Amino acid sequence: MGKVLEVNGLSKSYKKDVLAADSVSFSVDEGEIFALIGPNGAGKTTTIRMISTLITPTGGDALVAGHSIISEPAKVRENITYLPDEAGAYKTMTGKQYLEFMAGLFTGDKHVAERYIDRAAQICGLGDRLNEKIGSYSRGMIRKLLLSRAVMTEPKLAIMDEATSGLDVINALEIRKMIKKLAKETGMSFLLSSHNMLEIEYVSDRVGIMTKGHLMVTGGIDELKQRYNAANLEEVFERVVIENEVR
Amino acid sequence: MRFGNLLKKELRELITPQALVSMGAMLLLFIFLGQMLGDFTDSMEDISSATICVQDKTAFVDDILASLKEENIEVNQVELTSEDYAAELDRLELDNLVIIPAGFTDSVLVNKEPASLKIVSKVAGGGMISTAQTMSATEVIDAIEKAAEDSILLESYGITPEEIERIKAPVNTTEISVLNGKSAEVATEELSAVLMMQSMVVPIALFFMVMMASQMIMTAISTEKIDKTLETLLSTPVSRLSILGAKMLAAVISALLNAVVMMIGMVFYVGGMLGSAGEEMMNMAVAGQEVSASADGVMSAMEAMGELGMSISVGSYVLFGIQIFISVMIALAISLLLGAMATDIKSVQTLTMPIMLVTMIPFFVTMFADLNTMSTVPKLIMYAIPFTHAYTAMNNLVFGHTALFWGGLVYQLVFFAVCMFLAVRLFTTDKIFTMSYQTGAGKGKKGLIKQ
Ligand SMILES: Nc1ncnc2c1ncn2[C@@H]1O[C@H](COP(=O)(O)OP(=O)(O)O)[C@@H](O)[C@H]1O
Ligand SMILES: [Mg+2]
Repeated sequence: MGKVLEVNGLSKSYKKDVLAADSVSFSVDEGEIFALIGPNGAGKTTTIRMISTLITPTGGDALVAGHSIISEPAKVRENITYLPDEAGAYKTMTGKQYLEFMAGLFTGDKHVAERYIDRAAQICGLGDRLNEKIGSYSRGMIRKLLLSRAVMTEPKLAIMDEATSGLDVINALEIRKMIKKLAKETGMSFLLSSHNMLEIEYVSDRVGIMTKGHLMVTGGIDELKQRYNAANLEEVFERVVIENEVR
Repeated sequence: MRFGNLLKKELRELITPQALVSMGAMLLLFIFLGQMLGDFTDSMEDISSATICVQDKTAFVDDILASLKEENIEVNQVELTSEDYAAELDRLELDNLVIIPAGFTDSVLVNKEPASLKIVSKVAGGGMISTAQTMSATEVIDAIEKAAEDSILLESYGITPEEIERIKAPVNTTEISVLNGKSAEVATEELSAVLMMQSMVVPIALFFMVMMASQMIMTAISTEKIDKTLETLLSTPVSRLSILGAKMLAAVISALLNAVVMMIGMVFYVGGMLGSAGEEMMNMAVAGQEVSASADGVMSAMEAMGELGMSISVGSYVLFGIQIFISVMIALAISLLLGAMATDIKSVQTLTMPIMLVTMIPFFVTMFADLNTMSTVPKLIMYAIPFTHAYTAMNNLVFGHTALFWGGLVYQLVFFAVCMFLAVRLFTTDKIFTMSYQTGAGKGKKGLIKQ
């Protein structure tokens, strides 16, 4: 299988001498769900924003579908969608209008746009509520709308920062199911992030554990649990941190 | 195509039903206020009728009443049944009443002493309308006095009305206004009135435009940033310049719409307020008609302005239009930069202040003071504010201060270029996401993301 994302030594410093991301390297295969996990401030959002071409790396590079985020950001944007952490949507628009607007940014073709919108409407499961103003939506509904818009164009790579944070159990569960199903059915790849390590076990195929700007280790979930003799990812994280401190 | 999509979205955000409703409400308010004040002004001018009780029935008094009619005052005669004025006013349902008492004619013509005249008015409260009523009665008295005066001059001294006219206006003045070494036969006051209209209306419109445009774009950009819709938008495959362009264009369009509504409101307001007099003034300012009902041969203000080299050519209007456009664009660019720094809704309000100040200060200063007569430091400060040049542009063009105008325009262009450069940089680099954190140190030397 080909690699959709290859991250090579990506670094970012916002202030002098402080690296929010320090030589981060990993890769995501086609159809794979990869999750960056780690506590708040670990550098997940920073890494994700660099890959999404929103902020400029101070070192390293990443290739999305073979295109460099530094020299070909426009090409990269054609192959990704990005769902920011705690993102909102335009409150004065209806859900439908929002989908129309976003579809219009990806294609100039009316029919293609319609296909995108239909797909999103089906995935988000909001039904008639799509004709209501987004201002009247709950958090969960907004997240479902945004998620459906992030996958409606079937990008090579869908990037979602903290996809389920701030949602109640039922909504979080639904979102996780949606992601899993989409990856299986469409062959899209997902790059997720989460500070909730227990939850991410249920969604991702592989994870990368980050703390303090460093990507400590990557691997399949079972593989990591075995390697660190841990019952869950939280324990894996604990042991990884201890191991690195000892070293 | 994609730009159209972006523009549509921005316009939908700015021109909401609520915005339209408040615009409409504003318009109605202006019209209503203008009408109300206009009614008042009209009632003040309205002395077309007077109620008079004549207790001295002589040919002399009849003459006076006839001359009142000549002045277009409709005389309504009543009889009193008692000396209880309050009761009489109530009975006759009047607010005021002029009484010509018995012996009025004898006092004037025979005894040659001041004759007495009575005016009875109801005090109807402290409002302006009641003052106006008393004033209209006073005008009637003035007319009676004048008629009495003319009669005395004719009866006692044999002076005819023609002679009276000549005596009262023995001097005929020709006013000549001089400007920039040219002169024209027109009253300086009349010229000033036209100039006032010209140099006031446009700055007010500009002022509103700038305020509206910057508020709108600031809110637009900061809510996008706070709701993180901006991140989503900037990660899509549309050129960032078109995102920026759509935002600015939408703000210009809705600012223009607002300004037009505001101007219509103002015209109604001023027009309504001044009543018929106001309409005349508006017409003359707009269409260049004669300033007043001045006698033939006297130049109209507009003609005079042409003679004095003050008239505004089409070219000047174009230049002035460019000035205004650049001013609005500068306001937009600054607001964009400020709005991008906002991290929450509250800080948006704080960030609006600087824009308000730099638009308001030159607006009022140029309205009440002449920059050229200011001392150097305040003058330089005023000139450093780009909007000053927009407010003074019209006068600079009219009075032929070409160097000042062009200097101002060039300064504005440079200022705009710098602001735009920063705005584009903001959108094409990661500045927009990192700026609010930065303290100023350690900026620069970052690799740019190519568009
Ligand atoms: N725009 C910014 N400017 C300066 N520092 C930042 C900025 N964004 C994040 N940081 C810092 O970078 C580090 C990593 O943050 P972040 O990538 O948001 O972590 P995570 O998403 O894993 O919680 C933190 O120490 C944070 O304070
Ligand atoms: Mg984060």
